[in-house]
Amino acid sequence: MAAIEVNGLTKDYGEVLANDDVTFDVAEGEVFGYLGPNGAGKTTTIRTLMGFQSPTAGSGTLLGADVRTEEELLAAKRRIGYLPATPSFDETATGQRVLDLHASIKGDERRDELLELFDPPLSRPIREYSTGNAQKLGLVQAFMHDPDLVVMDEPTSGLDPLMQRRFEEFVRAERSAGTTVFLSSHVLSEVRRLCDRVGVIRDGRIVTVESVADLLGRSGKSVLARVDDRVAADDVTLSGVHDLSVRDATVPDDSAAPGSVTELTFTYTGDVNELVDFLDRFDLLELDVEEAPLEDVFMRFYGDD
Amino acid sequence: MLEIARYDGRKRLTGALAMTVGIAALTAMYVGLFPSITSAANLDEIIAAYPPAFREAFDIRTMNTIEGFLATQLYAFAWVILLGLYFAYAAAGLVAADVERGRMDMTLSLPVSRGRVVLEKFASLSVPLFVANAAMPVVVFVSTLAIGEEVAMERVLMAHVLSVPYLLACAGIGLLASVVVDRASVAQRAAAGAVFALFLVESVVAGTDLEPLGALSPTRYYVPSEILVDGTYDLGGAAALLAGTAVLVLLSREWFRRRDV
Repeated sequence: MAAIEVNGLTKDYGEVLANDDVTFDVAEGEVFGYLGPNGAGKTTTIRTLMGFQSPTAGSGTLLGADVRTEEELLAAKRRIGYLPATPSFDETATGQRVLDLHASIKGDERRDELLELFDPPLSRPIREYSTGNAQKLGLVQAFMHDPDLVVMDEPTSGLDPLMQRRFEEFVRAERSAGTTVFLSSHVLSEVRRLCDRVGVIRDGRIVTVESVADLLGRSGKSVLARVDDRVAADDVTLSGVHDLSVRDATVPDDSAAPGSVTELTFTYTGDVNELVDFLDRFDLLELDVEEAPLEDVFMRFYGDD
Repeated sequence: MLEIARYDGRKRLTGALAMTVGIAALTAMYVGLFPSITSAANLDEIIAAYPPAFREAFDIRTMNTIEGFLATQLYAFAWVILLGLYFAYAAAGLVAADVERGRMDMTLSLPVSRGRVVLEKFASLSVPLFVANAAMPVVVFVSTLAIGEEVAMERVLMAHVLSVPYLLACAGIGLLASVVVDRASVAQRAAAGAVFALFLVESVVAGTDLEPLGALSPTRYYVPSEILVDGTYDLGGAAALLAGTAVLVLLSREWFRRRDV
């Protein structure tokens, strides 16, 4: 059974179609990244799955419970942790009071362990909390009842780099322990480090759902070639070349005559053998072929209009 | 069960105590003034000079007895209007404020049903309801004793007992506003406005062809001067208020269960 199933989920706010026929599954024990720019509809999907709002069309399940049926979802929520995009707590209460309330309703067998990792100032009233502290308190309450599924909306926003790393290590450990994690993000490097699979959403529609490895494979390679010759952009006839940039890279103390070294950089999505055959015609001074940064992959989904 | 009611109720304790101290001070002042006012003037002659609509609005019978004076000065004003508005206002913030500030997402992520959230939040108002009604009879008793007046305590107690359904009905109006409107300030203005408007309507239509319209107002069913001056207890009215409260609360719960937050 999938931990999360989303089937044709549509949410129409009237003025905005925030989710349009969104479909994906998250397997048990998987860390799934829900990726998209701000306003793409990530929070809409999450809030609909949590039962805060009903879908205009389509359906979804969390741990097998139909999110449109309160009774079913209620039973499942004992095993679900949730972290909203900007966790809001009772401002007048201390962090301690808020955790006590949560504990009285859903349990807190892991509270102490979590407070050692993420240490919000529990004795202070929440109105004095920084964004990062509120986020830490949010993380503690999301995991403190040892849930089987954790849904997090932009979990690392507001955390300092040290806490972000700690969070990433923690999520990896949770994954090893069998917890299913669904997190939304617009930070690609984070998704790449943490997630097994990614669903990319844009303008309310799912663009792709695939493994991070596939996404990177499909996204191609970043190629940099320094050629001991003059090369024009028109000479690069290879298909699968994107974002080609050609520049004169002659340096003054090169023994070669000025203007005779060219630097080519491009993203390559074709067959690697064809790339090698193509480059074989040149006298190469330098060649770098590396995995394209996920940011570039992302730009391919979002950058074309 | 009742974790949310306990949590919210505890938060209301300070406010409830402050409100009670305020009304107690007002009461002590009124009672303290009673001997000098009654010795200086015959208040009932002044009342006779009031416009009939005003007498009707506050159900003024007599002010020459301590019961009549309290009914007019304290209960008709502080209890029916001030406290009625307080409960409408407080109830209007119960759900709307949490939705507006995004706290409701956190609450609903817990394994609690929406119906339970609404009912427990409403139940948290029992704190100010209890504190005010428990403290005031004591204040009335002690202050009247201090001026050497003997007040009919069983009537005072009944004025408080019967105010509970009335205040609950006012809170019910607030709760409905709270689940329908997303912004707390709008819900609070709407609820307090509605309670005050109903009070005015009930006062204005009295004795006219439109008098049945006044049946919509909670103030129709709780008349402190009837209790304190006449010693008649409108138990049917209290039952009507409780029934109205139940309808408002259940309607609010159904509404909140169906809506997006």
